[in-house]
Amino acid sequence: MAEIGRFIQGFSRLIIRKGVMSVAAKLLSMEKIDKRFTGVHALRQVNFDLDEGEIHALVGENGAGKSTLMNILVGIIQKDSGQIYYMGHLFNAHDPKHALEMGIGIIHQELNMMDHLTVAQNIFIGREFTKMGGILLDKREQNKRAEELFTRLKMNIDPTEQVGRLTVAKQQMVEIAKAVSHRLRILILDEPTAALTDTEIAELFTIMRDLKSQGVGMIHISHRLEEIHQIADRVTVLRDGEVVDTKKTSEVTKAQIINMMVGRVIYEQPKIKSLVGPEAPVVLRAHKLNAGKLVRDVSFELRKGEILGFSGLIGSGRTETARAIFGADEVQSGWIEVNGKRAKIRSPSDAVAKGIGYLSEDRKRFELAINLSVKDNMVMAAYDQFQSSLFIDARKVQDVTQKYIDRLNIKTPSIEQLLRNLSGGNQQKVVVAKWLICNCDILIFDEPTRGIDVGAKSEIYTLMNELTKEGKSIIMISSELPEILRMSDRIIVMCEGRITGELPIEEASQEAIMSLATMGRQAVLTGSGTE
Amino acid sequence: MTSENVSVSRMQWFKERGLKYALAPAALIILYVFFGIFGMNYFSYPTLVNIIDASYYIGFISMGVTFVIISGGIDLSVGTVMMASALIGGVALKHGVPMLPSLLLIILVGTGFGFFNGLIVSRLKLPPFIATLGTMMISMGVGSIVSNVQSATFPIRGQPGGWYKNLFLYLSPEGGMIPTGAILLLLVGIICHLILSNTKLGRYTYAIGSNIEAARLSGVDVQKWQMMVYVISGATAGIGGISYAAIYTTVLPAQGQGFELYAIAAAVIGGTSLSGGVGTIWGTIIGVFIMSVLATGLPAMNLQAHWQTFFTGVIVIGAVLLDMYRTKKASEVRIETAADMYKAEMSEKIASMKRELSSLKASGDRDKVADLQKEIAAARRELKATFAAKKAEEKAEQARIRAEERAADHEFSEMLKHKDHPIDNI
Repeated sequence: MAEIGRFIQGFSRLIIRKGVMSVAAKLLSMEKIDKRFTGVHALRQVNFDLDEGEIHALVGENGAGKSTLMNILVGIIQKDSGQIYYMGHLFNAHDPKHALEMGIGIIHQELNMMDHLTVAQNIFIGREFTKMGGILLDKREQNKRAEELFTRLKMNIDPTEQVGRLTVAKQQMVEIAKAVSHRLRILILDEPTAALTDTEIAELFTIMRDLKSQGVGMIHISHRLEEIHQIADRVTVLRDGEVVDTKKTSEVTKAQIINMMVGRVIYEQPKIKSLVGPEAPVVLRAHKLNAGKLVRDVSFELRKGEILGFSGLIGSGRTETARAIFGADEVQSGWIEVNGKRAKIRSPSDAVAKGIGYLSEDRKRFELAINLSVKDNMVMAAYDQFQSSLFIDARKVQDVTQKYIDRLNIKTPSIEQLLRNLSGGNQQKVVVAKWLICNCDILIFDEPTRGIDVGAKSEIYTLMNELTKEGKSIIMISSELPEILRMSDRIIVMCEGRITGELPIEEASQEAIMSLATMGRQAVLTGSGTE
Repeated sequence: MTSENVSVSRMQWFKERGLKYALAPAALIILYVFFGIFGMNYFSYPTLVNIIDASYYIGFISMGVTFVIISGGIDLSVGTVMMASALIGGVALKHGVPMLPSLLLIILVGTGFGFFNGLIVSRLKLPPFIATLGTMMISMGVGSIVSNVQSATFPIRGQPGGWYKNLFLYLSPEGGMIPTGAILLLLVGIICHLILSNTKLGRYTYAIGSNIEAARLSGVDVQKWQMMVYVISGATAGIGGISYAAIYTTVLPAQGQGFELYAIAAAVIGGTSLSGGVGTIWGTIIGVFIMSVLATGLPAMNLQAHWQTFFTGVIVIGAVLLDMYRTKKASEVRIETAADMYKAEMSEKIASMKRELSSLKASGDRDKVADLQKEIAAARRELKATFAAKKAEEKAEQARIRAEERAADHEFSEMLKHKDHPIDNI
């Protein structure tokens, strides 16, 4: 059996190779890619391909496996099994540098640039132009080459400018230019539009179309489904690490794509009407808060039993507002009221004492001690309750953690299991449990479903609704508009550190939110000038 | 189903923690037996007392250092703080202060230095390495200044105040020795262990070391607990100072540098991670004894003291490498291959045969029992042979694919270099 299998495999590989070389070459073909992480099967037998001069959109909810697939393509992580054919050849990138040398570039959501170097230095890093037999750097030549590159790509960027001084959009273009300078054949764009304004997006698309006409194949990862019809030729939908389908964009509607993304998982019914009226008592009031660059005169109210959605683009100041309320960052001016009383919150421990809990967007960095056990993580914020006399009551700790493991349906072999061995969804539930154990009545969920699978996502939603029914109040920060619209009673939209609008759920729509999230930015820019 | 789950989680628990706890003690016993067999007169009571004697001062300071390292910091000042506090205690004695207050003063001075460390690390946010490096020099200077660069001599047995020596080694009138210090070391060890595992301070120490931001954002008063950790380290350095004076009687100024590194080495050998969040007091104590077994064992094999430093270094590196390998293995994701599935299937078969066997045994049919036992043995042999063959086959296959990929890779990158590119070369 095994011999036959191997023979067929080898034979088909041969056919593919020969066939592809004689007929029009598929630029890229990924076959049966499989990858497991501890606790998650991230990719299951995924097939994906790309033609020359094609823009192929890759969509799916968070945790569906988009980034994992792309990271495998550029060699950031290694696949467990499956094959990649690049221009008809078996190909396996060792690392991103290797991939780039072979003409496969990736523009990450978080840009990787050296802020203190110039644009030209960033583009040619690692392969600088030299003079005098390689002793001195030839800056002039380097700048000239960069200039040529920008002219050809129709980008208006000064090569001698420090990268840190450019806008995010310009930095992204520098990254694209850098990739192009490596004899680029495939460009991967991971959520390139997340932090851009409409005009900047239009500019980016012009550049993408230009590259397309020159034969570069592009993989476009995005959460904004309306973009897909604007720019992509085909779309592949991933769900829970599996390909749902690959379709031509002309043959599929936005609603169909959403259906494919969400699948048969039953979500909470979207709220059509707010469940909390204006008569409900205000539990948290922020008055003209100012903190750092991204919290400007922020005032809002949170009512008891309410889910208050915070929407806006990345970098609009939502997280910073939450951190200011929680005492994690210093507040320069303004004040906070909890349950009608002025609250002095100077540090997170003050906030916790007032019953405020904050679930950070970046769990690994700010929430989890991954080398400690599930139990230790769950009671981290609440040791005071477990201390009887000098020592901690180990029995009580065990009982309470077990209770919450059962209640939140956390999948772990034991309470002593190290947290790093749990999947993302279960880790998030541990964090939720941490705040429930310390009896917080005001919970700030910052991107609560980022990086967790669909099933766990739905459980988190159900849980949030249960909590509000019990009288807890929730602020939910999310970049996913469907999530905001599905869960919130009221929506606050932020842009450039200011609140640009407030929408009751009855009046909210994706369009209304997006216009508040981006139009506000223009107004602020023209209004205050220097920022 | 549930019983299976339990046994699986126990296996995992052993893989993750049990092995970790078993390795260092096993190494200690092996070393001791090794020297016992190859060294001269090693298996004797005086040698044992020697081993214990040699472990006191490093033992005490390494416990404090373990706290600091678990909290994600480092304390380079413990060695010199220990000596400085012993010196200051000696000076006090010289000026007529009675024994007991002098001993308390030693602990107090150590604690004071710890408080100073805690202050600059937690409030002024100096990196622990720099802060304690400074304190190391300061404490050495303070010791020399206070003692006027003269050595401090503690009373010997029989002199007034010489009773304190009995705290660490009790000599009976008949000439018997009881290493009472071991009891003291054990006592401090138990207290430290209780603090680490059963109090808020201990649990926060782990939390801070594992992820300081997460601890802060969970409402933990990070500054306060960080400070406490350094205070504990200072206090144990003070106790270490007393033990040093008790064993060596004379304390020289400008000494103590380098002890901190042995203390850190002991913690690391015992499984404490320098990146914080992981470690135990028991591990550290084992680490201390491994070093003192080396210190006493190598001379018994006619090897000089510098060999001890050499082997300690080897053990430190070996211990950490082993730990890294173990952690990596434990967190690896296993992918079931055909061979693994075969193994699982066969094991299941053997298990069912065994069940049958036990029921047969109960019924008392001897012939059948013998037959079945043979069958089980055969199945075991088959499993072993076939599994090994399959594994080897899989390995070869993987190597083949990898080689093929590598060859294709090279060929391909050569081709790409020469092929025209849609965008002109830049």
